[in-house]
Amino acid sequence: MRSSLGAAIDEEADVTLVDMEAGLEHLSRSGGTLAYADVLLVIMEPSRKSILTAGRTIVLADELGIPRVYGVGNKAQEGDEEFFREVCAEYNVPLAGIVPADQDVIEADRRGELLGDGAGAPVREAVVRIVDFVDHALMGVAGAQS
Amino acid sequence: MKLGIVGKGGVGKTTLSALLAQVYAARGQRVLAIDTDSNPNLAHSLGLTAMQADEVPLLPRSVVVGNGDGALTPAQLVQQYGAVTPSSVTLLHAMRITQAGAG
Repeated sequence: MRSSLGAAIDEEADVTLVDMEAGLEHLSRSGGTLAYADVLLVIMEPSRKSILTAGRTIVLADELGIPRVYGVGNKAQEGDEEFFREVCAEYNVPLAGIVPADQDVIEADRRGELLGDGAGAPVREAVVRIVDFVDHALMGVAGAQS
Repeated sequence: MKLGIVGKGGVGKTTLSALLAQVYAARGQRVLAIDTDSNPNLAHSLGLTAMQADEVPLLPRSVVVGNGDGALTPAQLVQQYGAVTPSSVTLLHAMRITQAGAG
């Protein structure tokens, strides 16, 4: 049975984005429709712990039957691009994009403020490229809305 | 299209979720953003004040995993539980985490 939330997602939105702060493990146990996605972006940073979490999540996403699972490398500094490429190759997931470490984002976080409209341009550009990557991946999929 | 954002705590999920949602909204898509955190982080990243974020009602579990009592149409659910943010992304607050370390 489709949940009320599932119906709202299908009928009232073109794109639904779920910030899975609770973790895929938790959502798959108790989150109903929240655990399922057409596309899963697994966010990593250049740290071993985030990579290990990503690896476990990718295994679980496969078990749940999530059809498209992509890695995203965040907070990338010089040289990290190769690191994220190697990790994604090891986990056998495409790399949807790399987002640079950005002083504007760090400072906005530190102050607890929003990223201003003109701030964090390299991050915003990287996010646009991720959206383009996802759109492209969904192209030609019957019934998919982008 | 349903897009899940997952990753270890602190990797930047919420910041990226908000920016992704804003890109889709800027392209004219109707965007729902669903927060599954007990802290209103996504609300803040989408431009709601702390007071506004506190007012976003938690979706009852019965509509997340079932059809509630069937009383709400999809449009009514979004209207009743959603908060429209400055970028026109509509925020829903779906779950309260009761166990520490669930992420």
